[in-house]
Amino acid sequence: MSGASWLSYSLQDFVMFGPEVLLRLFIRINEAVWPWQSLWLVAGLLLPWLARQSAEWPRRMAMALAGLAWIGCGYLFMVRYYGPVNTPATWFGWAFVFQGLLLLMLRGRALPVPLGLSLAVAGWLVILVLPWLAVLQSGDVRALALFGMAPGVTVAATVLLFARQPLLLRWFLLLVPLAWSLFSALTYWSLGTYWLLGFPVAALVILVVALRVSPSPVQSRDLRSARPDPERRLP
Amino acid sequence: MVRLSRRRFLIGAGLGSLALVSSPLLAGKVAAPGDAPQARPIPSTGEHLPAIGMGTWITFNVGSDQRLVDQRTRVLETFLERGGSVIDCSPMYGSSADVVGAALETLDARDRIFAASKIWTGDGSETREQAASSARRWGIPRFDLLQVHNLLSWQEHLATLKDMKARGDVRYLGITTSHGRRHDELARVIETEDLDFVQLTYNVLDREAEKRLLPLAHERGVAVIVNRPFQGGSLFRRFQSEPLPNWAGEAGIETWAAFFLKFIISHPAVTCAIPATTRIDHMRENMAAMYGTLPDAGQRRMMAEYVRQL
Repeated sequence: MSGASWLSYSLQDFVMFGPEVLLRLFIRINEAVWPWQSLWLVAGLLLPWLARQSAEWPRRMAMALAGLAWIGCGYLFMVRYYGPVNTPATWFGWAFVFQGLLLLMLRGRALPVPLGLSLAVAGWLVILVLPWLAVLQSGDVRALALFGMAPGVTVAATVLLFARQPLLLRWFLLLVPLAWSLFSALTYWSLGTYWLLGFPVAALVILVVALRVSPSPVQSRDLRSARPDPERRLP
Repeated sequence: MVRLSRRRFLIGAGLGSLALVSSPLLAGKVAAPGDAPQARPIPSTGEHLPAIGMGTWITFNVGSDQRLVDQRTRVLETFLERGGSVIDCSPMYGSSADVVGAALETLDARDRIFAASKIWTGDGSETREQAASSARRWGIPRFDLLQVHNLLSWQEHLATLKDMKARGDVRYLGITTSHGRRHDELARVIETEDLDFVQLTYNVLDREAEKRLLPLAHERGVAVIVNRPFQGGSLFRRFQSEPLPNWAGEAGIETWAAFFLKFIISHPAVTCAIPATTRIDHMRENMAAMYGTLPDAGQRRMMAEYVRQL
């Protein structure tokens, strides 16, 4: 196809379902798992608390919880429900599952340092406030987009854990969240579901904030090798 | 349509007589008001089709959402009740083929439709497999019409479709484009290939096809299916708040849907327009455009001028 021909396409030409179908996904998944989504809500609230503990095992649990959340929403929401109407969602769904498995395997490494209070509060806000964006968009309280089930909230709540990882691992873990945020933002924009743009925007804001308040390498023994500080002579 | 004898009988009985009152050459003349739907002959066989069909792009891609599948079934039911039969789909349209199949099953309507699908794969050797896969999803033994989607690998697919037609595996073959793309190439295909159908975009604002493709199709005896009759809904967003012209009634137009659709189906080269909708009330409006008076050539010019001025 010629370049000029490609230019004749608009964003809307690549979205082959309507906003009604997208918003029904949130309702359908809530109906399918009822009442077990309450466990995911509790798990979501536990996540920032575990991540800010000084002992290592709670932080390992936080990573494992994040992994389970990625697998859960990747398979159930993306592959089972979203994929049949949007093929790329199936690919993203399996990428979510892979990312979740990776997080489970990484749990032994835990978080290098505990989460600060400000980031923990941001995490709780994501878990409690962000789900209502889908309700605002649909006008239906059954569309609540919960952590561990809806990708937007799951991504936004867990990027703050990824931002705390050593440099290489950090960006490896951020590949799927960033790609998903871009993809979902374009989808929501072309469907005119503007409230849902809050999901990718929140994920990116939290990521930027988390990167800015990340501990410097000299603050963390685990991060020294990621960015050596020439001013600090190690024994 | 699949069991030819029964289906041909049903559609033929319903439409055969309509041909007498709705030849494309008579477009602009008054059909018996409020009764017979506009029908058009397929030039290659003379078989008549209702002038309004149904597209499924976006609207029928609802996945496994049973509530929406049921609702789309009601939309299809309304379409059939109002005299429609041409249903157009594509493997590109996500779950649309499955939803059409489920709706046809519920309505027990497989022998009341003119089933049109597309071949959409870059692999020119997969024509038969994709046609068979689509037929399974619709729940029918074969399609009435198979079209090469957006000219993708059209040489290979068309060769296979010709062979399938010769063997009776499909009744008609065609080729499609949309959004006004690749018209020069499409014109060359119409000129050089033996087609039954061509599908293209044509509406009151996108009138590029009037210059060459529609006259060429008419001259070559190729039926024309028109997609995007509402420009993906943007015609409504743009004009619905405006009043219809005060002469609209004389052209048999009472709604903007009728305005847009009657403009299309009153073109002598057009066989059928395939609007898509998710709503029963909109389906009723669309199908109403298939009845009553059609605008004549002068009124068509006034229609185009009216929307241009808005």
